[in-house]
Amino acid sequence: MGENIFVGIATWLRDVMSSAGVPDLWNDTILMLVKLVTVLVFVMLNFMVLNYMERRIAGFIQSRRGPNRVGPHGLLQPLADIGKMLGKELYIPKSVDKIVFLLMPTLIFVPPFLIFAVLPLGKNMAAIDMNIGVFYMFAIASLSTIILWGAGWSSNNKYSLIGSMRAVAQMVSYELPLILSLLGVIMITGTLNMSSIVEAQNNIWFVFTQPIAFLIYFIAGIAETNRTPFCLVEGESEIIAGPYTEYSGMTYAMFPLAEFVSMIIISAMSTIVFLGGWLAPFGWTFIPSWLWFFLKMYVMIFIFMWVRWTYPRIRVDQLMGFNWKVLVPLALANIFITGVGMYVFRAIGWWS
Amino acid sequence: MFGQGLLKGLQVTWGRMLSKKQTVEYPDEHIEMFPRFHGRFELDVDKCIACGLCANACPNKVIQIEKEKVDKKQYLTRYMMRIEYCLFCGLCVESCNKDALKFSNVIDMNQYRRSWVRLTLVDRPAPEPTETPEEETSAKAAKDEAAAGSTPGKEG
Amino acid sequence: MKTETYTLNLGPQHPSTHGVFRIILELDGETVVKATPVPGYLHRGIEKLAEARTYTQVIPYTDRMDYMAAMLMNWGYVAAVEKLMGIEVPERVEYIRVIVGELSRIASHQIAIGAMGGDIGALTAFTYTFRDREYVIDLLEMVSGSRMTFSYFRIGGVAADLPDEFFPATRKLLNEIPAMCDEYDDLVTGNEIFQARTKQVGIITPEMGINYSLSGPTLRGSGVNYDLRKARPYSIYDRFDFEVPLGTNGDCFDRFRIRIDEIRQSKRIIEQALDQIPEGPIMAKVPKVIKPPAGDAYAEIESSKGVYGAYVVSDGSPKPYRVHFRRPSFINLGYLGELCEGWKLADVIAILASIDIVLGEVDC
Repeated sequence: MGENIFVGIATWLRDVMSSAGVPDLWNDTILMLVKLVTVLVFVMLNFMVLNYMERRIAGFIQSRRGPNRVGPHGLLQPLADIGKMLGKELYIPKSVDKIVFLLMPTLIFVPPFLIFAVLPLGKNMAAIDMNIGVFYMFAIASLSTIILWGAGWSSNNKYSLIGSMRAVAQMVSYELPLILSLLGVIMITGTLNMSSIVEAQNNIWFVFTQPIAFLIYFIAGIAETNRTPFCLVEGESEIIAGPYTEYSGMTYAMFPLAEFVSMIIISAMSTIVFLGGWLAPFGWTFIPSWLWFFLKMYVMIFIFMWVRWTYPRIRVDQLMGFNWKVLVPLALANIFITGVGMYVFRAIGWWS
Repeated sequence: MFGQGLLKGLQVTWGRMLSKKQTVEYPDEHIEMFPRFHGRFELDVDKCIACGLCANACPNKVIQIEKEKVDKKQYLTRYMMRIEYCLFCGLCVESCNKDALKFSNVIDMNQYRRSWVRLTLVDRPAPEPTETPEEETSAKAAKDEAAAGSTPGKEG
Repeated sequence: MKTETYTLNLGPQHPSTHGVFRIILELDGETVVKATPVPGYLHRGIEKLAEARTYTQVIPYTDRMDYMAAMLMNWGYVAAVEKLMGIEVPERVEYIRVIVGELSRIASHQIAIGAMGGDIGALTAFTYTFRDREYVIDLLEMVSGSRMTFSYFRIGGVAADLPDEFFPATRKLLNEIPAMCDEYDDLVTGNEIFQARTKQVGIITPEMGINYSLSGPTLRGSGVNYDLRKARPYSIYDRFDFEVPLGTNGDCFDRFRIRIDEIRQSKRIIEQALDQIPEGPIMAKVPKVIKPPAGDAYAEIESSKGVYGAYVVSDGSPKPYRVHFRRPSFINLGYLGELCEGWKLADVIAILASIDIVLGEVDC
């Protein structure tokens, strides 16, 4: 298991191409395409793993076995699911706004993919190491709100409309504590570049210096991904499937897919910002950096799933109240304390 | 303290995640049914006297019996249950005096077509009577005799 | 700004209406302005069907009313016919009826708890209660042969005696019931999110509960101490020592909570019944063809949903002239429309779940 296996492959590819006389511009373009395709494959593979993992964990928590029929231990279940979804009829109800209705499931996948371009999945392993990575991520992530809203609105179904209105209210509100919780970290590091944020955690992870911010981030992250206890957008027992009610087959499957991908993103972000990214704890560097990253990310995902299969759903007014009355003030207080702390530490010279 | 219940819940689910699973992998493993289980019906044809008590006991007229009289005894030729209407209440089994109708432990009675669900427990033709009644034979003989007698007259 | 209300048709096909129940909601945003319950989608005409069946043949149909507690449904009807005919039921039968009836009540309450948890969003609670319910149902299957529609009661007795393996199996299960209830408490009742969703939601005041003739846990959640088993003991309930759990606020949370407590009390009753059960016949002296004298009789029992009554009119023939069932779910639903007004859409689901209806019983 090489520490630099993926970085090595990229360097090797670049060397091969430049020795073959490919001009530098083409070289860079091809390399970028390769990276993006890798991200695509990575996302799809992760989706399948997550699909299996979610169902299996749900089964285990509920004293069941979960999928165990397709393949050894049910490992091929996600493939079977995708096959089933592809084989289904794309039913378009009569009264929907056809263009928007069909466009939204396609678009829902774009923002998560755009975000993946900047996530450093290991040391030097960001497809694009952007200097405003955190800012970019939140800017792009907000886009999925409008897509969910469009899906619900175009369905011409009251359940869908309620669901999409909830989606707008919830995702716009929870964006605030999500970003505010990261501000403390950004103030300490003084950078928006994700790689630099990770490097800044060399001595101590930010989860220990910013525990409240981590908690706020975790709660708001669950809300951003629309998972229980904040799964009001789908709210199965209230509004059937929310914005997805009228979708069928693969158009429907795109929404859970996007949901899983955004869960990966939220977990990856928490790993990067709070759990030290690819940095190895206890100096265990014999495990490669990208593996550390995945371990931490999957621990986060597991906690998301664990929480999902334990808690009931919160009500819509409580959801908003909790956000504006608890999370946002708490996040602001955290920023304030961080700022004061920074000045105090600077004054006594513990921290420069 | 706020949040205690939340942590408690997580503890419960964590414990359950690691504990023994309660389901069985159905087609590979079967749970044995209790002796009284109301499964597929079984009819012991030899014991059945075609009395029709079961058909009368049924609340839904599920049981259809066809019988013929052979040798002064009722002979069951067809015993059909319209299982699609059956309530599995067990009143028919209870009403059977001869213990002919019983429940078995078979649970998989599902079929692909509704019409296939019908359960025909007996479908057989009535056997030929072993000995023909007395008067019938004599009448036949007399008729034969008369026919035999008339032919010569015709000829003559 | 001018806003308009809109109509949302909740049901008949909806994940959390517990069957085919329809509520026409007039919504202002997410707030309910007016709720009109529309039952009747599962109407099978059991009362009319009964008129064409003999007295015994009606028993399987009573199963199909509250199919979550079918034993209790059997009991009410059988008790009415026995009252009509003046049959004295043997001692052992009374004990058997109490045991299987209370087991059925446990199974029914487990569904109520799980379904309410599931409706609030905790699907794991739903699977846990169903998992535990299977063990209760195993016992009833051991006795009657069926897992849901038992048809175990007969006029003047029961279909078969309790099998020998029933007693150790029941005692084993009863020992596990406190742990089961604690698990539900830890997972759902103690959960702050669940409490936030259900406390002070859908409050039924004791006066309104009585005015609307509610019964069962729905009424007792408001603090009205009316349990038929205590208030007017039928069968042999006066011989058992148990408590009636009561709520204080009359909100969804109380209605939910006392169901878990009732499971604990049912466990106590079964334990006492198992200790006291005498030997004896399992069938009273009943003529082969049941022909009650002309007249009528009404018998009530406390089912898991409330007071379940059966009214049987006989004209002296082997078939009942008229049968009427007082189904607690249906009568408890009468208050739903008024109860939902002013609450959020999600609360409607919680309120409906806390009333614990079974559509087979509502529509009969």
